[in-house]
Amino acid sequence: MNPLLAVFRRDLLQAWRRRADWLTTFFFFVIVVSLFPLGVGPEPAMLRTIAPGILWVAALLAAMLSLPRVFESDFADGALEQLLLSPEPLPLLVLSKTTAHWLLSGVPLALMAPVLGLQFGLDVEAVRVLFWSLLLGTPCLSLIGVVGAALTLGVRGGGVLIALLVLPLYIPVLIFGAGAVETVATGTGAAGHLSLLGACLCIALPLAPWGASAALRVALE
Amino acid sequence: MNWFKFSSPQTFYPLAGRLIPVFWVLAVVLAVAGLYIGFFVAPTDFQQGDAYRIIFIHVPAAWMSMFIYLVMAGWAALGLVLNTRLSSMMASALAPTGALMTFIALWTGSFWGRPTWGTWWVWDARLTSELILLFLYIGFMALHASIDEPRRADKAAAILAIVGVVNVPIIYFSVKWWNTLHQGASVSLTRAPSMATTMLLGMLVMAIAFWMYSIAAALSRVRSIILERERNSAWIGQLQESR
Amino acid sequence: MKPRHRRFAMVVGGLAVLGIGAALILNAFNSNLVFFYSPTQVSAHEAPVNRSFRIGGLVQAGSLKREADGVTMRFVVTDTARSIPVSYKGILPDLFKEGKGVVAQGKLGEDGVFHASEVLAKHDENYMPPEAADAVEKAQKAEQESQKTLVMEKTGGSGR
Repeated sequence: MNPLLAVFRRDLLQAWRRRADWLTTFFFFVIVVSLFPLGVGPEPAMLRTIAPGILWVAALLAAMLSLPRVFESDFADGALEQLLLSPEPLPLLVLSKTTAHWLLSGVPLALMAPVLGLQFGLDVEAVRVLFWSLLLGTPCLSLIGVVGAALTLGVRGGGVLIALLVLPLYIPVLIFGAGAVETVATGTGAAGHLSLLGACLCIALPLAPWGASAALRVALE
Repeated sequence: MNWFKFSSPQTFYPLAGRLIPVFWVLAVVLAVAGLYIGFFVAPTDFQQGDAYRIIFIHVPAAWMSMFIYLVMAGWAALGLVLNTRLSSMMASALAPTGALMTFIALWTGSFWGRPTWGTWWVWDARLTSELILLFLYIGFMALHASIDEPRRADKAAAILAIVGVVNVPIIYFSVKWWNTLHQGASVSLTRAPSMATTMLLGMLVMAIAFWMYSIAAALSRVRSIILERERNSAWIGQLQESR
Repeated sequence: MKPRHRRFAMVVGGLAVLGIGAALILNAFNSNLVFFYSPTQVSAHEAPVNRSFRIGGLVQAGSLKREADGVTMRFVVTDTARSIPVSYKGILPDLFKEGKGVVAQGKLGEDGVFHASEVLAKHDENYMPPEAADAVEKAQKAEQESQKTLVMEKTGGSGR
């Protein structure tokens, strides 16, 4: 079997065997979003205004929470060293692990967000844009995130540190993602924001796996 | 002269020791001169009155915050590629100074914004990207501090520094790409500066003073880093004996 | 595929993706992602409706008026092509002057008046002493005058 596919399949299989881990992240997203109406009060007009920001920030945090898991178990059982030794280019292997992470964390968030968006009183058009913006934005989050995960691999206090490293780099994705949803309410057209999200993805796609591989080599030196 | 001679910590340590006082003296003299020009010689501004005088601190600090990041990332990359110890030490010595400059730029900017714009802070592109720069510096230092083995810490932090370079052109060009509340650059390479001569002079003198201070601070810090990292090597033992 | 070819394909693929990214950024700059909207954009209905947004422009000379209640200010923001009347209740920043830059946050009312909740002064990157500013202004005025006389001479000439 193609080694890239094998890595991808293995990650999904492992995730399936430890379903609870990934479901925790998913429910974290749902719960954080649901806390806001309780915290700021149930006024519909205000909820509609803050919904894009809340949904996106919660997605950011949820995507970040699952990051340490990308390399942790492979690091612990020595599989990561095997990957580093394989003749396959490491960035491509990292890319297939990233794709697995996105399928497990990003896609469920993007699928769940429209339901939560309706709870906040977003109209159908806004929900549609929310879905597409998350679908374009979450791969960015996974790509930037694996660099952080690789950098903090085996580092003391890695969980908190990863937030410090990754969240500032998430800011552009947050601005364009939440901005895209807001444009629906303001009637200015989401195309500009969505194409900037696409640009973020296109920039992260070739660079992030390369950076993460370099960081992995450093971590396993 | 063989420049590579000074790429080893052992030869660089005494050289830095000799250079530091020079840079300190230059920094103090230029800062006094720059502040004198800024506060006593330069005229009041036609629209902002005396509030604009914060420019003599704000602009040099903002320039240094971006420039130090580039230099830091450059040293870090050099350390990563060539595996030279001293380059990585330079990078980690520059980070706190860079963070300080970023903080000064944000802080003085806030004090400038209040009387002129009428607000302490707005989320426009220039201010937000400068804030991200501060986070990047903090992330660099935090990552470096959390890895115990220095060589590994150097390399991991270097990768983070290189990733963060993307932000620097965004800060610099943000006022051109988006219509921000922050005004455009008064001094650029492509056209004549849009400032009165004495104002410009004061700002440039202050900028050089900030340069000198940054070099002096970074060199002092790199000396302590060298001592800390090379404490078990023979030449530091000799240094102690010769005291 | 040989490893060498494979690496080449990876580099080319990476560059192609980066190229697409650059194209998308350029594409985005054609649509409006802005800190504030100009009066022309507002007149062309490019600005948000029923939602707070910022407008930016120059305060039209001679347009600043204080309402009878003593706290509501009215002025006109212009980008020399179009202009929008603004009303604002509160204290204006020190640098707020007629003919100077301003950014106001608020909502566009149905009557076409922009009701600002916050007014910020935007100053330009020019710094000079007041005397120099006066001199520049005088020079500009003189130039305008000379242009005016030129125009008058022209129209006078054609009338003959």
